[in-house]
Amino acid sequence: MLQQMKETLLALREYALERNLQAQLSLHREDSHLTRLANGSVSLNTMESVTSLSVTAYGDRRTATATLVCGLKDLDMMRQAVDRAAAMLPHASRLSFQPTLPSIPADSTCETGYDAALAQLGSAGILDYISDAAAGLEDEDLTLGGSFSVGGTAWCTLSTATPHSVSWRLSDAQITLVLASAKNKWEINAEQSAQSLDDLDPKAMRRHLAFLKEQYLTREAVRLPLGPVRVVFGAAATAEYLSYLSYLGLDGSAMKQGNSIHREEDIGQRTLSHKITVTEGPDCPGAFALPTDDFGRSRGTAAWYDKGVLRGFIWDQGAADEYAQTPTGHNLAHHSFALQPGDMAVNDLQALAAAPRDTDILYVPYLHYTGVVSPSEGLITGTSRFGALLLKKDGAIQVPYNVRFTEKLEDIFGGKLLWLSSESTVYNTSSTYGSRNPSALRVPRLMCCDQINVEISNKSY
Amino acid sequence: MTHPWKEELNKLLLQGASYADVRYTPREDSAALVMRNGNLLAFSAGSERGFGVRVLYQGAWGFAASSDLGSITATFARALDNAKSTARRLSRPIRLADKQVHTGRFTSPCLVDPAQVPYDEQVAFLRRVDTALQQTGVEQRMIFLRTQSRLTEYYDTQGAQIVKEIREIFPYLGIQGRDGDGETQSRRYSPPRLGPTRGWEIMQADFFEEQAARMVRELNETLAAPKCPSDVRSVILMPDIMYLQVHETIGHPLELDRILGYELSYAGGSFVRLSDFGALRYGTDKLTVRADATMENSPGSFGYDDDGVEAQNNLLIKDGILVGAITSRQMVTEANDKMGREYFKGSGGTARASSFRRTPLERMTNISVDPGTDGTLEDIIAKTEKGIVLSGDKSWSIGSNREQFHFANHYGYLVEDGQKKGVVRSCAYSGETLPFYNSLAMVGDERTWQVEFVPNCGKGMPSQTMQLGHGVPVCRFDNVKVGE
Ligand SMILES: [Zn+2]
Repeated sequence: MLQQMKETLLALREYALERNLQAQLSLHREDSHLTRLANGSVSLNTMESVTSLSVTAYGDRRTATATLVCGLKDLDMMRQAVDRAAAMLPHASRLSFQPTLPSIPADSTCETGYDAALAQLGSAGILDYISDAAAGLEDEDLTLGGSFSVGGTAWCTLSTATPHSVSWRLSDAQITLVLASAKNKWEINAEQSAQSLDDLDPKAMRRHLAFLKEQYLTREAVRLPLGPVRVVFGAAATAEYLSYLSYLGLDGSAMKQGNSIHREEDIGQRTLSHKITVTEGPDCPGAFALPTDDFGRSRGTAAWYDKGVLRGFIWDQGAADEYAQTPTGHNLAHHSFALQPGDMAVNDLQALAAAPRDTDILYVPYLHYTGVVSPSEGLITGTSRFGALLLKKDGAIQVPYNVRFTEKLEDIFGGKLLWLSSESTVYNTSSTYGSRNPSALRVPRLMCCDQINVEISNKSY
Repeated sequence: MTHPWKEELNKLLLQGASYADVRYTPREDSAALVMRNGNLLAFSAGSERGFGVRVLYQGAWGFAASSDLGSITATFARALDNAKSTARRLSRPIRLADKQVHTGRFTSPCLVDPAQVPYDEQVAFLRRVDTALQQTGVEQRMIFLRTQSRLTEYYDTQGAQIVKEIREIFPYLGIQGRDGDGETQSRRYSPPRLGPTRGWEIMQADFFEEQAARMVRELNETLAAPKCPSDVRSVILMPDIMYLQVHETIGHPLELDRILGYELSYAGGSFVRLSDFGALRYGTDKLTVRADATMENSPGSFGYDDDGVEAQNNLLIKDGILVGAITSRQMVTEANDKMGREYFKGSGGTARASSFRRTPLERMTNISVDPGTDGTLEDIIAKTEKGIVLSGDKSWSIGSNREQFHFANHYGYLVEDGQKKGVVRSCAYSGETLPFYNSLAMVGDERTWQVEFVPNCGKGMPSQTMQLGHGVPVCRFDNVKVGE
């Protein structure tokens, strides 16, 4: 696949050079399979095979891009896309800076993240997994929902500057299973991310769902009072906050545009808790990490928050050109951020529930539909979802209705942070909008914060 | 070039399928221009083609799509295979509600196709508006222009044959500045429906310059303003936030697939239960809401949906009582079975797919609040004791069953004893859906009503972005919590 894509791009490169065009040429190919479940049934079983070409022409302080979705062998249409980018270029207005054309110094191909057995799992494999993960958990009231997204992504990019290319191929699966009570209207979930077939562990999904099911069937439902509460976030919720932090804290472009919690002078300052170390780079197992960026820069793993100290901002080439900065090797389909684990040896919900505690703890596995109320304040609002528990001081467990809170990132990862689990896990953050692009974050399994303010408390599930 | 769609559909029937449809997009053209602080950072044009086939086999759906027209037979076979696999885990075979079979064509109203407008003219337009935004107090300027033109052919095994040609144009302006505390404040503008057509003809530079001047003025007022108080008061929602309130807390919770649990694992459910239809008091008797896909010139009007059902105008809430939902052929039969009666008389014609690669889902059409009898904005302000007028969709966050919400606004000013008072910054309000609509106290008349366009409603897995509209008046709700 990568070879065919590269040959296609080299042919287009020749075509562009014959026309004296400077351009970056990229091909994306996905073979996606998504099985969706609702009310105990498969509600959709869908496959798509799509090839996309992108051609960006570069001129004197200007660029223009033509994209095309077609078949991999539609070379004539692809040449027309090159012509189109060339025709558009003179009409682009001049920029205040010169955009940099990629000049890839050597070929880079990475297929280590591709496991054909996972990418081509097929309907039978998906349904077998689901049967194992849900074995014995469903009944008349409790039915299974969820989605199993699996597939392969191939990427190849080069430019007219050199004949070298950067290419990679990844397999990925993103699995969410939900047990929903029709009668009581609650939902509990379990999630898994996989990069190879070996990562699939339906029994772990079953264990997690079974534990939550037991709590939700036997424990008393409770509406929480408004006001401050100690919260332990699960991996999904922590990943949500980390995802915001990676943009509102570390993105150079966002900082320059006033959409950041930081300013330039914050570099070198302790802005978050000393417990917070955030890294980005290829040394991030399970996070679909890429060893080389699209400019052919080989990447290392670096701490961007180091024990709470901001070490710098992330600049892709476009932002670096625009703001006269040095690019950091981040012209990538996706980043691979990790929040390093801490020192608390409590690494799963069962252990948390069993641990002694001197105050009530609200366990929030997941945040639903978060919104940025104010980017420069890092103010994020969202609602708990999917299996929250109230772990009472006296050891009892209750099942709370969902709550809303609106908190600042600098508090969540700063003054309000009490502890992080000693182990981390990978949380899949792939979206199924647009073209396939697997992504994930590594986060501590649990994160505890104090004084989280409940501002809306639902009256029912 | 002709393609063997009908032959391939017939083959599926011969292989045991009970129903199948195919959507073929011979060409979809789109363009995006992004200018930030005067720099044309994105200047791109895209085109795509492909097809998607949906098969019902023994009550189970299968779907496959491809951008490769050399793989038509293989893709049809894959869709059938997918349906056969689905049948392994199926507790309730899918039945589609009856429909009238149409042969038809729909073309969205457009005078000047944006794709035919010279690039220089498009770029010059952005420059002119950018210059209007470049004023004191403005630190960041952003202008987007997105256009799209899609031709889709639809065929199904019942004999329907529909061609749709839809052109969209979505301009957007945004500016930002820093207030005295160093926090970012912003103001944005996306035009509502501006006339009977939507093509390049809506891009009147004078009009956009006027909007730019208003945005700059309001941003500067906001930058200099004190913080919004945190208290409980009446909120008077302008159409540019009322549309989002309706979208998130009436539109989404009334999608029948959500109500039936089809989105529980992702987008969420709905606080509405099937037993609520015909009975639930959603709001005060001033609240009448409809799903009107027949409205003139809106992205939520499309002639025929992707089940091949004709567009309709259906009531959702009548005088405060919940009466209808956003429905498709599949969901109405399931809902009726579960209700034990034929409450839903047929598909509401709202099944739409965002591209050839996606399957149709219940999507909002034009979810609109009927204008009321409480006059103009000034009339409403004059009758308000302690309130705040709110404008702009700065942020939104909604509970998973749409039972509660939090919205932040770009611009707001206080109202006391029937008088406009000062502008305040960092405005936000939150509440619970049913108590909120049951505090609807005043609904502006036709003079306050306008159709807001939504270019980016997300739903489903694989995820789909859909375009639609909301006709909304100025509305006043009482006893609402305001402040961040
Ligand atoms: Zn939406």
